[in-house]
Amino acid sequence: MDRSKVKRRGSSIGPNQPEPKLQKEININAVVVDNGAYSIKVGLSTEAHPTLVPNCIMKAKAERKRLFIGDQINECRDCSGLYFLLPCERGYITKWDVQKPIWDYIFSKKVCPIDEYPVVITQPLFNFNSIQDCMDEIFFEEYEVSSMFRLNPTDLAYLKYARDHNLPKTTPCIIIDTGFSFTHIIPYINGNKYLNAIRRLNVGGKLLTNHLKDIISYRQYNVMEETYVINQVKEDTCYVAQDVKKELTIAAKSGIENNIVRNYVLPDFNNIRRGYILENNSDTKENEENCQILRLNNERFVVPEILFHPSDIGMKSMGIAEAVVKSILCCPKQYQEDLSKNIVVIGGNCNFKGFKERMMAELRSLLPHLWDVKLYQPEDPITYSWDGGKSLLKMTDFKSCLVTKEEYEELGSMIIQQRFNSWMTDNSLVEEESQEKNQENYRYLDWLKGKTVFGKEDPIDVKDECEQEDSLLKAQTNSQDTGSHNLAENVDNVQQPAADLELKTKASLKNIENTIVKEFDQEKDQPSSNFSMQTELFPFGTGSYL
Amino acid sequence: MTISKSTLRGSNRIKENDKRRIVDETSRKRRHRKVMELLESDNYHDDPHADLVMSKKVPKFEDNLEQRTSRTKKKERTAEYYQIKYRKNFQQLVDEDRAEAEANRRVSYMDIQCEESPMPPRHFCAVCGFLAKYNCLSCGTRYCCIRCMDTHMDTRCLKWAA
Repeated sequence: MDRSKVKRRGSSIGPNQPEPKLQKEININAVVVDNGAYSIKVGLSTEAHPTLVPNCIMKAKAERKRLFIGDQINECRDCSGLYFLLPCERGYITKWDVQKPIWDYIFSKKVCPIDEYPVVITQPLFNFNSIQDCMDEIFFEEYEVSSMFRLNPTDLAYLKYARDHNLPKTTPCIIIDTGFSFTHIIPYINGNKYLNAIRRLNVGGKLLTNHLKDIISYRQYNVMEETYVINQVKEDTCYVAQDVKKELTIAAKSGIENNIVRNYVLPDFNNIRRGYILENNSDTKENEENCQILRLNNERFVVPEILFHPSDIGMKSMGIAEAVVKSILCCPKQYQEDLSKNIVVIGGNCNFKGFKERMMAELRSLLPHLWDVKLYQPEDPITYSWDGGKSLLKMTDFKSCLVTKEEYEELGSMIIQQRFNSWMTDNSLVEEESQEKNQENYRYLDWLKGKTVFGKEDPIDVKDECEQEDSLLKAQTNSQDTGSHNLAENVDNVQQPAADLELKTKASLKNIENTIVKEFDQEKDQPSSNFSMQTELFPFGTGSYL
Repeated sequence: MTISKSTLRGSNRIKENDKRRIVDETSRKRRHRKVMELLESDNYHDDPHADLVMSKKVPKFEDNLEQRTSRTKKKERTAEYYQIKYRKNFQQLVDEDRAEAEANRRVSYMDIQCEESPMPPRHFCAVCGFLAKYNCLSCGTRYCCIRCMDTHMDTRCLKWAA
């Protein structure tokens, strides 16, 4: 409903500004920003790969009086004891005094200037209003971008997946995004997010790094202050075990039998800038004198295990594979089997070795055996969403999604946020299908309820309303008998018995009819959807229910 | 006779068992919450530059001048401006969102959190990380053998029991 509203508004503006229509139809370039909590993936859509900039400001112990913004950290010689200023709290931007300088930096000439390009930026699922307000203000008022679009990173991943695999829009698909702050599991049905089946697991890369830091500090060296280094240790050494119990028995062994244990050379930021795994056969003794060695054994696979079993650290939550299954089973029955054929995993945690295999094994064992399970993990799960930006720009109706600066100034933050939020979340069709059977008996009552609210706005007596209701009920039972769900016919049926009634009721009915017709017109803008059912289920439009 | 025997023989650990404080359920939960908070924290240590008086405006001015000469007539806003204008913390945001979502009957941040798993949790030794069979009597932490238990008693058992 929101979309249709906005579209009409857009078309009314259209004639006044014929210029954008004359521009090249499909080739829109834009600055695509995947604003992750750990790293920002930014670049012009014409570039092959995005630039990865850490989304943080760092303070080094050695270099006082200087802040390292994003990838400026590469200029820092001594990265020990780095102090992080992170703009996000649990994935949502709360520290604007940190986020703003980072954005300033990435949109400067050093990384990726916006110029006159439109901006496509990602935001986490269910981004809070106040955060969106601030983003609007920064981009439109401060950076003065010509136009902007905001969406979830999984939307981009979905678009890319659908485009790359030539899937029709009706193919359901489930995207798992396991990032720095959390893991989201989002099913897409008919190209829209199915909200009731979305799950979030509060386990992300940050938690894993902190946990590794914690256990290493307890067992070996105190590395509590070395988040930066330990994150590298995690990336270099951790992997997902296929069978934890088997792996544990191997790890418990000593000597050559234990092929899990690794010695990791910690960086000293003097000779060694980045740590590395010490090969078993190399001259260990010689090295040992010069550097600090971290011995990693079961830590290597117990840490990523938290993703699959958060209960290992006492978290009251199910694991990622269980959550995917749960999410699939929450979707309407007719889509479930197809969903399991199109599972996509993205996000930094996919880079753990063995992640995909374990995920596949768990899903296979948890889903019904007759279903086909297909798991797709892109080559680069971190930049996959950013790449999806290109697919977004190729969409034919992308231009109408963009919000221009003028629209922002005219409509304000609230309305454009609704527009962003309702994008790819219209589930009226799916909900309708799944609820149709249960709601058969009550549907007309709901419809009537909605109408009486409209009626009260008009000067109609309560008595009349009752009569109306009766007549309407009769009319509806008639139409129900004929089995027609078409709204236009419904209206006709309403009118016929109403004609027999007094003029007064007829007049008031006209009012109702008008409101129905109004709604009908609005629904017309979405030709694909079954409008008759929508108006009955959602008398005020679907937007208010989502 | 029996008294002298018990004072002479037997384990010290068992003898001192009575003195040990049993941490009750609420403080165990509190401790667990603390651990979880620590896992979400950005830094463990304090800001190393906290004692420094930073003259933030000077470098910023340069940066901005460079990027923005072509752009705008409007006044540059500082990062602090946004921080003050949108200073809500995460909890406030969640609460606000929840109230708004309930009013509009829409799905929100709080609704999509994963439920608890029906499967029983596995237990790992808090000291060495292997599968653990035993519970610490005082605080409920898991350990796998006497050696790990001793380590646990000497370190985290008391440290975390607050």
